[in-house]
Amino acid sequence: MAAILMGTLLKSNLTISAETPYPTGLPGLLQLEIENEGLAAENERLRQELTQLQNSRNVSALAGEQMDAARLNAGQVELTGPGIRVVLDDAVVRESEGYGNYVIHEQYLRQLVNVLWSGGAEAIAVNDQRVTGQTEIFCSGAFIQINGTRQSPPYRIVALGNQSDLRAALQFYFWDKLGYYQQQYGITRELEIPTQHLSVPAAKTRPIRFAAQAREGGT
Amino acid sequence: MNRRLAGVATIAALIVGILISLQIETKRSLDMAEQIQVERLNQISGVLTSLQEENARLLEENNHVTAELNRLRETGDTNPLLAAQLEQLKIQDGTIPVNGLGVKMVITDSGPDLAVLFPINTDDVCNIINILRFAGAEAISVNGQRVVASSSVVLSGNATILINSVPIGRIGATTYEILAIGDPDMLYDYLNRLEVLSLKQAGMRVDLTKEEVTLPSYKGNYYFDYASRTST
Repeated sequence: MAAILMGTLLKSNLTISAETPYPTGLPGLLQLEIENEGLAAENERLRQELTQLQNSRNVSALAGEQMDAARLNAGQVELTGPGIRVVLDDAVVRESEGYGNYVIHEQYLRQLVNVLWSGGAEAIAVNDQRVTGQTEIFCSGAFIQINGTRQSPPYRIVALGNQSDLRAALQFYFWDKLGYYQQQYGITRELEIPTQHLSVPAAKTRPIRFAAQAREGGT
Repeated sequence: MNRRLAGVATIAALIVGILISLQIETKRSLDMAEQIQVERLNQISGVLTSLQEENARLLEENNHVTAELNRLRETGDTNPLLAAQLEQLKIQDGTIPVNGLGVKMVITDSGPDLAVLFPINTDDVCNIINILRFAGAEAISVNGQRVVASSSVVLSGNATILINSVPIGRIGATTYEILAIGDPDMLYDYLNRLEVLSLKQAGMRVDLTKEEVTLPSYKGNYYFDYASRTST
């Protein structure tokens, strides 16, 4: 009897502690707040554009200005500035077993590019291919396809921006792992932080065939 | 013998007593925690409501200003060729909302009827974006975040996925809606062959459809504080 009673008491104690509710909806809140900030900024920008347009005698001059800005954003302008360069290469000695460990994979390049963007890069190119919103870094067997071109090692990634931010982002996320691969398998990774300026080329124009400006709705 | 029985009974009674008091104590502190919780939730829902109101107001303002801008642009003497070119560039840099033919992919990696060992992580998201770009996507969004060149997909803490520095979900507790505009057949085939099968094998539910989709604009900013046009 006593044992049964003890058992039930213990059990209900345990279930009580397992049922602790936890706050929900916080990420959604944060997302909404950030979205609001973004919207407010966009509205401000649009309003400025509107005043400019209303005041401007010369509409085509304004259009030209907008065109320049859009070209810059879309990566269609060659840029020069301070930055860093990362060079990756396959291992010289490759064993047939575990061959994949001895080569540079698309994931390494993609991961590096991703990390550099998060570190505030303003422009990135891989083997002189400018990375835009439409750039794929896709492994197709013996080579890696970037912007529809075939690239093979060594891979040179150039990122323009604040050098110490870029380096910090790199070291925070991925650099050590590559260092491990270097030690284990002999692939090479090199980081250069040159004092002279680097350049990234302009992207080639790609026609837009399916997308059009949404007049209403989309936020 | 009797004494031993009495001893055991005493100990048992003591333990039962301790358990009962523990029970009461737990219940009490739990009640308190619950009360705090309720208060907190009330506060949060208050903040949420005001944020939603703010959001609605901003959206209305946004629509209003955009409409006014479009009206002015159309009545102005802008060269239509130039305007079309500008639109193409703005589709590419993501600063305007777009719609068009494409695909919608919805991935569910958690739920009562799913047993997924490894839910979607940042690498999977990067992979899907890359496949869409490989298939010629002109515009991409993931859970309402437009993906542009400089969009990074990173982890904040140990489970929150950020795109454009905005949280889009928590690993293992979010449904992902990925929209892309481009040749619907190509987008569909590439995703189907390169990603859908492996996601399904991992136990996830994937709905991929060709349809007309509308994507939001990129809400971040482009900075060029260090890089400048190469002077020739």
